[in-house]
Amino acid sequence: MFISLQLLHMSVFSQSFSPCGRFLAAGNNYGEIAVFSLSAALSPDASQASQKPILNFTAHDGPVFSLLSTDTHLLSAGNGEISAWSWAELIKKVRVSCSVNDNSLIVGGGDNNIHIMDMETGIFKSVLKGHTDYIHCLCFKEREEEILSGGEDGAVRIWDSRTNRPVHCIEVFKYEECARPQFGKWISCLATDSDWMLCGGGPSLSLWHLRSMSPTSVFPLPGCQREAVFYQDLIMSVGEGPHVSHCLHGGTVKAQIPCTPSSLNTLALNLKNTEHRVMTVGGSSHQIDVFTNFSYRAFSLSF
Amino acid sequence: MSSDAVKKRKPKVIRNEAGTPETKRGRAEGEQSVEMEERRRQCSVHFITLKKLNRLAHMRLKKGRDQTHEAKQRVDVLHLQLQNLLYEVMHLQKEISKCLEFKSQHEEIELVSEEEFFQEAPAEISRPHVTRDDHHQLTLARLDWELEQRKRLAEQYKMSLARKEKIHKAIEQKREYLSSLQPGLQNIMQASLPVQECLSMPFEQMQKQAEVARHLPPPLYVLLVQAAAYGQACDKTLSASISGDVDEAKALSRPPEDSQDDESDSDAEEEQQNTKRRRASVGVQLDDKRKEMLRRHPLSLCVDLKCKDGSVLHLFFYYLMNLNILTVKTKVSTTTDLSGAVSAGELLNSESLLNCLYASDHGQETPNPTNRYQFDKVGITTFADYVSDLGHPYVWVQKLGGLQFSSDGAQVCVLMGSALSASHMERTMKLLQGRLQARLALHKQFSSLEHSIIPISGECQHLFPAKVVSGLTLVPVEQELGFVQHVLKAGLLRETDLFFMAVVERGTARLLAAVVVNPRYPEVMPLFSLSLHWKGERSGRTEDNLRAMESEVNMFRAELQGPRPGLQLLTNQIQRLCVCLDVYLETESQVCDGSEGPKEFPREKMCLRTARGPSRLKPFKYNHPQGFFSHR
Repeated sequence: MFISLQLLHMSVFSQSFSPCGRFLAAGNNYGEIAVFSLSAALSPDASQASQKPILNFTAHDGPVFSLLSTDTHLLSAGNGEISAWSWAELIKKVRVSCSVNDNSLIVGGGDNNIHIMDMETGIFKSVLKGHTDYIHCLCFKEREEEILSGGEDGAVRIWDSRTNRPVHCIEVFKYEECARPQFGKWISCLATDSDWMLCGGGPSLSLWHLRSMSPTSVFPLPGCQREAVFYQDLIMSVGEGPHVSHCLHGGTVKAQIPCTPSSLNTLALNLKNTEHRVMTVGGSSHQIDVFTNFSYRAFSLSF
Repeated sequence: MSSDAVKKRKPKVIRNEAGTPETKRGRAEGEQSVEMEERRRQCSVHFITLKKLNRLAHMRLKKGRDQTHEAKQRVDVLHLQLQNLLYEVMHLQKEISKCLEFKSQHEEIELVSEEEFFQEAPAEISRPHVTRDDHHQLTLARLDWELEQRKRLAEQYKMSLARKEKIHKAIEQKREYLSSLQPGLQNIMQASLPVQECLSMPFEQMQKQAEVARHLPPPLYVLLVQAAAYGQACDKTLSASISGDVDEAKALSRPPEDSQDDESDSDAEEEQQNTKRRRASVGVQLDDKRKEMLRRHPLSLCVDLKCKDGSVLHLFFYYLMNLNILTVKTKVSTTTDLSGAVSAGELLNSESLLNCLYASDHGQETPNPTNRYQFDKVGITTFADYVSDLGHPYVWVQKLGGLQFSSDGAQVCVLMGSALSASHMERTMKLLQGRLQARLALHKQFSSLEHSIIPISGECQHLFPAKVVSGLTLVPVEQELGFVQHVLKAGLLRETDLFFMAVVERGTARLLAAVVVNPRYPEVMPLFSLSLHWKGERSGRTEDNLRAMESEVNMFRAELQGPRPGLQLLTNQIQRLCVCLDVYLETESQVCDGSEGPKEFPREKMCLRTARGPSRLKPFKYNHPQGFFSHR
């Protein structure tokens, strides 16, 4: 009885696919991370049991707000701490927290700063200060090696990762076409595709041209968007409201696909593996919807 | 032949006669007449010879006939003799066989064996010198001995009878004497009653109870014994007593032969009556059969459980004889008057008071699987129709009476009878008391909730901030509500649950909460589903913050339970709901239509951060004693 009560009140906050693309890790508001096997769930003889996690463990005390996969590890961020889990161990259904290697990790925190950490040694390399309120979202522009960050203060700041200096600052809420004062000025989702940037949150979801630093199209979506991605020539975004919105670059909303949770927090695309190319969304429910064809919901995984 | 010979001779004679006359005519006409005379003489001699021969023949025939006749007669006589003898032989044979078959009565008498006879019998009867050789004498002797023995035994029998009579008379006399003592004893007993009460040793009551208890059916007897034992040993608040008609119970246990005779007589009478008047319709007969099947034993058990505050739970246990199950009816009597809480009418309803004492024990169906077949015979489809009349056949009641039915789950219970009852007694009594206390506490809470006062006890004050502005009204509800559907889908609602609606208001905002209370409260937390009417309608399904409020109220049992036994759960939940509504309304940022103006709900609660996470949840967790709100 208590378990069904727990499931009733569960929300999924973050998802991440494994480096091989065959597993999905999802984090919920109780601090648990569940690993699902996509190959089992997508196989022709999938059953009810294959839609349950193969591994479920408690990672943090508070909710797991963000999950990120590197080549070998899964990083999970909770309320004030970051843990790293080895994917190899997780797939073998053993969970071991250990340190990571190679590359640096960019962490945006509630202390209004962006920290860059060297993953091999675990030491913070540098701090980017500039935001006046805590940071909600980060993304990385690989071509120019620039970091974009959006926060509660409504500003999208662009930093140069080599020199760690701020390059630009866009205050989205000041632009009339995007601003929605009834919701607030906070930015909760950022996505970039080299020349283009998507940002949304309190203000409407808008597509910006980065060289001219101006909004080219504004998407007429009713709720606040929490995550948006570029996919081929579509833009997919999720937020308040039980649907995934497919939008075109021109500013029209092409489709709104209904989902089980009443509002969605996270959207993830599995592009690493061509066999299991799916889109998964999670939100205010214990179920994670899986889309094999992005136009409709195929089935749901359940915690 | 002789006549032929005669006839042959005759022609000869004639020829001769004819031959001669012609030649000798002349000569002798005289000769002719002499010859003729000769011939005539010869003829007559011949005639006479003929006659004589004929006579002789006849006589010879007659003689022959006579001889035959005689011989025949002789043979007949002999034949008759033979027949007679044969008949006699047969007769004698029959007689012989009859004699051989004859069983003398003396063979039916069981005689003592020969050895014993020779040993025991005195010499003049046994006469061994004679009887050893002669079987007939031996038998006679044995018969004599038998006769003598019987005579002796008859004497003894008469003597014993006489003695018995005497003793009987003596007994009668003593009985009369004792019964004359009876009134005197009664007086003494009456006089000793106050002494017994004074010393709190109710011997007489217990004896009376034991006397009546002998007529109880076995399950009720086990229950009585175990309950009384438990009451004496562990729990002084429990008392058990028997009520009902003892004579009827005695009548039920009368030996079956009497009742069979009665039955046959009554059957005969009934048939006569039936032919006289119209036979009762099939429906009435079926009804009678049903009533017979559902008959209760005339004796019932009453167990009283007292609680600390003086209220008493009365349990009446009945035994259904043909179905072999126990049922229970309840009654609650309280020291204070319990009226005034409209919505709480269901709480102490005797029909549903003991629902789900153990999980999923609804008491609507009979736990005995053989009853299914019995019901089919008399056309009872559901036992639930009769439950309100006969009482609830809960599984724990059967276990307390030592009745174990094989359909009780997969586990095989090795205990039977008293052991089964004893193993369940303590837990069940504790559950019953807990249930009564919980319901009474709920009742009190409801009556104060209906007056918009949330009764928070001192121990739980630390859970909530000092000032809570939202006010409450409580309404019972039965109808379907849209925002409760998700709970139905998750399978968390049962028919046995109680439903209420609480309305919390502050300013223009109105929060409707549908509450589902499980009958096993407070072991199972009540479930809240929220819907807010403030600048539009939002519910836990559409808005994440309301969902977070629901989880804040529904999930944290350890915090909200309060001191054991956790009877403050519901009121704490409601208080927390009011607190959460306060936080929600106060942290709601901008006004919808963009107009700037004073906010309707000024920020009074201290919050570290008003939004966290992608769903921007509000801080609903209250930290004591710092007094600020944070996220979980």
